[in-house]
Amino acid sequence: MDNHDIQINYNFNNEYCKKYKSLCVLDSNDQIKELQTILRDKNTSRSDFKFYSDRLIRLVIEDSLNQLPFTDCKVVTPTGATYDGLKYKSGNCGVSIVRSGESMEQGLRDCCRSIRIGKILVESDADTHEARVVYARFPEDISQRHVLLMYPIMSTGNTVSKAVNVLKEHGVREECVILSNLFCTPQAVQTVLDSYPKMKILTSEVHPVAPNHFGQRYFGTD
Amino acid sequence: MAAKMYVLDPPSSASSESDLEESQPEFSEVFPDIELDAGRGGNLFNSPTSPTNIPHYPRPPSTGSQKSPRSRRQRTTSLNQVTPAAESIIRTPQRAIYTAGRPPWYNSVGQKVEPFVIGICGGSASGKTTVAQKIIESLGVPWVTLLSMDSFYKVLNEKQHDTADRNEYNFDHPDAFDFDLLLTTLQKLKQGRKVEVPIYNFVTHSREARTKTMYGANVIIFEGILTFHHPKVTEMLDMKVFVDTDADVRLARRLKRDINQRGRDLEGVLKQYINMVQPSFNHYIAPLMSHADIIVPRGGENEVAIQLIVQHVQSQLQLRGLKLREELAQAFASNKQPRPDSIKLLPTTPQIRGLHTFIRNKETSRDEFIFYSKRLIRLVIEYTLSLMSFVDKTVDTPQGVVYHGKKTATNKICGVSILRAGETMEQSVCDVCKDIRIGKILIQTNLQSGEPELYYLRLPKDIKDYKVILMDATVATGAAAMMAIRVLLDHDVLETNILIVSLLMAESGVQSIAYAFPKVQIVTTAIDPEINDKFYVLPGIGNFGDRYFGTEPSVS
Repeated sequence: MDNHDIQINYNFNNEYCKKYKSLCVLDSNDQIKELQTILRDKNTSRSDFKFYSDRLIRLVIEDSLNQLPFTDCKVVTPTGATYDGLKYKSGNCGVSIVRSGESMEQGLRDCCRSIRIGKILVESDADTHEARVVYARFPEDISQRHVLLMYPIMSTGNTVSKAVNVLKEHGVREECVILSNLFCTPQAVQTVLDSYPKMKILTSEVHPVAPNHFGQRYFGTD
Repeated sequence: MAAKMYVLDPPSSASSESDLEESQPEFSEVFPDIELDAGRGGNLFNSPTSPTNIPHYPRPPSTGSQKSPRSRRQRTTSLNQVTPAAESIIRTPQRAIYTAGRPPWYNSVGQKVEPFVIGICGGSASGKTTVAQKIIESLGVPWVTLLSMDSFYKVLNEKQHDTADRNEYNFDHPDAFDFDLLLTTLQKLKQGRKVEVPIYNFVTHSREARTKTMYGANVIIFEGILTFHHPKVTEMLDMKVFVDTDADVRLARRLKRDINQRGRDLEGVLKQYINMVQPSFNHYIAPLMSHADIIVPRGGENEVAIQLIVQHVQSQLQLRGLKLREELAQAFASNKQPRPDSIKLLPTTPQIRGLHTFIRNKETSRDEFIFYSKRLIRLVIEYTLSLMSFVDKTVDTPQGVVYHGKKTATNKICGVSILRAGETMEQSVCDVCKDIRIGKILIQTNLQSGEPELYYLRLPKDIKDYKVILMDATVATGAAAMMAIRVLLDHDVLETNILIVSLLMAESGVQSIAYAFPKVQIVTTAIDPEINDKFYVLPGIGNFGDRYFGTEPSVS
């Protein structure tokens, strides 16, 4: 990409939320913006990069969990009063797309201690640049579950499309797939949601340039 | 020993800089003439009923001529004898006196209640300290600060130092005191602020590098030979007591003290007395008697006079004192008001309600309780950080484009937890902010009075420059939170730099804090409507600290 400046008021987030009902962008605030800035800064040290990635991941995961189904429930507090709360339904699982999606597993584990986590390895063919699934391992009853698909950076959307396709082949209903994502491009949103309009995408930022160095920096293989 | 410090500097108020251990050597220097006073004061320190022990300040240096003042100061033997057990509550027929925690020193709207300042003036060896002790004893006020003029002797230059060595420097003359420093110190104390009182070294005639941290109190007693000398100082005194002891008695005491205890010869003591102590008394001290409200003849022996003083002070204090928590609980119970802007409630997402369902349920096991409260704490801390101020920042990206982002404008953030429940939030703050400094404040509810009391305080030294995230897991009446905020303000933290963060607050607590400290930001994940008669929030979480740390009383 050319070295041109992208306007501050680039309002992809709002624009795309309106256009795609199943796209959900984390309520932005200056704090989240700061985390994003640190992750995008090429001068950020690796230890900082990992530290601030983990913080942003935690926020995205916490927000993704809001998309899971729940029922109302009343509980009695130690003071003897009743609290009108809610209870999440069981039957969820996580699926990470190897390798960068695995960076989000710990964040999910920190929120749901015993959740089942499946994995998908998607590689793009060196010659045709076409994404193909190399490996997939899911909980047996995945077709009955809501799936939190984890993939932090989405620039073309091809990888995610392939992964959703595999999930569907395993009997997962499209509306039960929620993608947890940190950064994505408008193009990727379009690619994924045009093919799978019923799934949900939860991200922290929609921006024309995706920080593609994420996996390398996070795992230290750059 | 620690128990003895409570009057001057309860562990609660313990200064931010010094620990109890650290204070100890300093403390022993503070008890120079204990034998004299203990003897006179009728076995004061051996009396098991004595509610409080009054720290002594270095006495006036007896106008120079001490051969080895240093060694004298280290003599602390009589002090360490039988102390009334380190019990924090002493019951008298009329009431309980709490010597351990600092009760509220401000009213229900967070404004400080002005302390009652008693000035005690009188000639050297007239028995001022004994009178002060007896007043404190009979007063039964939980928090008294005793300030001595001796701390404010001027630093001597070399020439003056030599004069002092020849016993010719007049320590009884007004010029020997730094009245400017004295005035500002007393003003700050009267405002309830933290002050650093100099420690005067009578060997070098200079101030030591260390200082003694003191706080304003319910009652401040200020004693010295010239307490009524400076008109502005005199103006600040709510009650002026002059201890008038017969000159013969004073001389006799001085002789006894200087000869028996300081190894000086009769001639030297007399010469000094006639040349400096006596004339100074006649010229400067005796005329101050006209400023006094009460003149106490015979000093500490005069029980009737002391009782009169105590009665007056008690009635004055009752006029100023307030039942804080009860008043807070009622203040906002009846009138529903719109929530002020300073209240930042996290958006109630399904996740937050789900987490609340877990931690509020009385059937939840401790393992789950801890796990889900930690998740909720993390969310509230992240949200708190988003309320800090930020500036624009542009960075270069590895993709070659420029990214316009944000950067926090405050590097100085520190956490302060209100023990015990607030401590549960420390881990999250540390997880989110690298190398953050954490201060602690211990506030406990007094079971008899239901009032919060301050027991312990440890804050970063330069806390006034920080944004402070003040953490408590639950806020019911807001009494403890307000005390903690008040402590921070007394340490010169700006009100706008304080954020009080908790998981659950009661409507009335939120309103009380917001009303008392409108610039403090209040962050919480839920606001419950009511408080019960035990000051628990309804429906609430129960006792958060007990459930988290597993210290619930067994169910009978």
